[in-house]
Amino acid sequence: MQASSPLVASLPALSINAPVALIYPFVAQQTLVIHKGRAITQAEFLRDLEWIASRLPAGGFALNLCEDRYYFLLGFCALLVKGAINLLPPNRQALALTELAQDYPDCYCVFDKAQDCDLPAINLVDLLKENRAPEPGTPTLPMIPAQQVAAIAFTSGSTGKPKANAKSWGTLAATARMLGQRLSADLVMPIIVGTVPPQHMYGLETTLFMPLQAGTIMHSDKPFYPADVQQLLTQLPAPIILVTTPIHLRALVNAGLPMPAVAGIISATAPLDQALAQSAEACFSTSLWEIYGCTEAGSMATRRSTQTAEWQLLQDFQLTLDDIGAIARAPHLLEDAPIQDQLTLLDTERFLLQGRNADMINVAGKRASLANLTLQLLRVDGVKDGVIFLPPQSTQAEVRPVAMVVSDRPEKEILAALALRIDATFLPRPLRKVASLPRNETGKLTAAALHQLWSQINDQR
Amino acid sequence: MSLQTQAEQELAKVLVAALDLEDLEPGEINPEAPLFDPGHSESLGLDSIDALEISLAIAKHYKVQLKADDENNKAIFHSLRSLSNYINSQRA
Repeated sequence: MQASSPLVASLPALSINAPVALIYPFVAQQTLVIHKGRAITQAEFLRDLEWIASRLPAGGFALNLCEDRYYFLLGFCALLVKGAINLLPPNRQALALTELAQDYPDCYCVFDKAQDCDLPAINLVDLLKENRAPEPGTPTLPMIPAQQVAAIAFTSGSTGKPKANAKSWGTLAATARMLGQRLSADLVMPIIVGTVPPQHMYGLETTLFMPLQAGTIMHSDKPFYPADVQQLLTQLPAPIILVTTPIHLRALVNAGLPMPAVAGIISATAPLDQALAQSAEACFSTSLWEIYGCTEAGSMATRRSTQTAEWQLLQDFQLTLDDIGAIARAPHLLEDAPIQDQLTLLDTERFLLQGRNADMINVAGKRASLANLTLQLLRVDGVKDGVIFLPPQSTQAEVRPVAMVVSDRPEKEILAALALRIDATFLPRPLRKVASLPRNETGKLTAAALHQLWSQINDQR
Repeated sequence: MSLQTQAEQELAKVLVAALDLEDLEPGEINPEAPLFDPGHSESLGLDSIDALEISLAIAKHYKVQLKADDENNKAIFHSLRSLSNYINSQRA
């Protein structure tokens, strides 16, 4: 995955105001997606797309809740060609979806499986089953203005309200081309297999946009258990790129299953331990690349983790430091992106990651703000005071948060109520009741005071 | 709450160790309560990351590999009892 080839290296740079083809390079009879064992050509995809787009309302906003990657792609592109905007929610908790939709008039859902959501909903699988006349000839390739907003990705803000990050079509397309150039340029039409969902930025850029814009093929499955990954990879022809996370890599390496060789592994969401990166490369006889990115800038740097700790910026990215922190700029970004993590610049192309933003936690590709999780806890009936935080000595990269609560209700009830508001991944483990929280004179909770009380109550047990 | 069978007791220990559920005695798990439904009062409220951990522990302890493409995956993972029954059927 290292050398660059004439094919993708020559991808034209995208001008922010020009129309950009939905698929690039466009070769009608080329496979775009492998879906439930069937190869779908670019032309077949465009016909499905035309049909779906003709059956959706014009304009507006829709929550794309499709779980199958192909249906998600169809929903995403159908909304795009209609000039509508894909809303990508931070999680699927029914309450969270309803609250989010309030800000977007006439918002509906597109889905492929029964969803616990009380908004108007359109099932794409049903639409695809409808009778339609076969259309002769090659379907038209849609051209989308680069500055058109394609999606709004939500991250949990610290204020309790999800923060909206608008992503233009041109931004997403350009990112995918740069990733393709860095990671897959020497491979001929690699199949992208992802253990990550397409709804979050990382999965969107790699498993959806690299097939659309960087000459790779999407595999619609999302294999989960190590045995699933092994079985799928064994069935597919080379070359394959596996898109995954540190949590999944650890499971794959430790499962004790012989894994087939792949052309490359991509990992993101949390920094990967170097020993794990080495085991993963040995396990799959391949090279592993990590991607560094954030919701504001998207993917912005990569590194060969077994060889260096330094991140190399993607082409055209510029990083500057000021008093508040690092800021990323690039021609394909609509605005400058502030970076929440602490970075050290080495030169114009390389940086080191020094520390993660203390408020944001990231587990298996899901991001949450501790301040927001705490707010949700405080909204639970019967909770008088409470806090969700990371436990002391959390050396693991992806550690679960814990909670201390002042309440008369049993822990189990509080957790059950909290589960309606936040993703199960971030439910505190454990949640402990205390008589009061160690607030200082100004009402603040310092990490030191929290950790001291936490150790105290755990020692008593 | 129905009683854990001997096989379920063994599996409960494997799960509690694998998931670091320090507050939970293996014997306290209701063998028929859902493992993953956090809204259920007796559920362990597990999530997909736990499912991965469980699959590793089961592969190690029982030499059984779990798979998600199995139509019955949800039913298999429903409770301690269903999971224990599935493991037994795979070992036989």
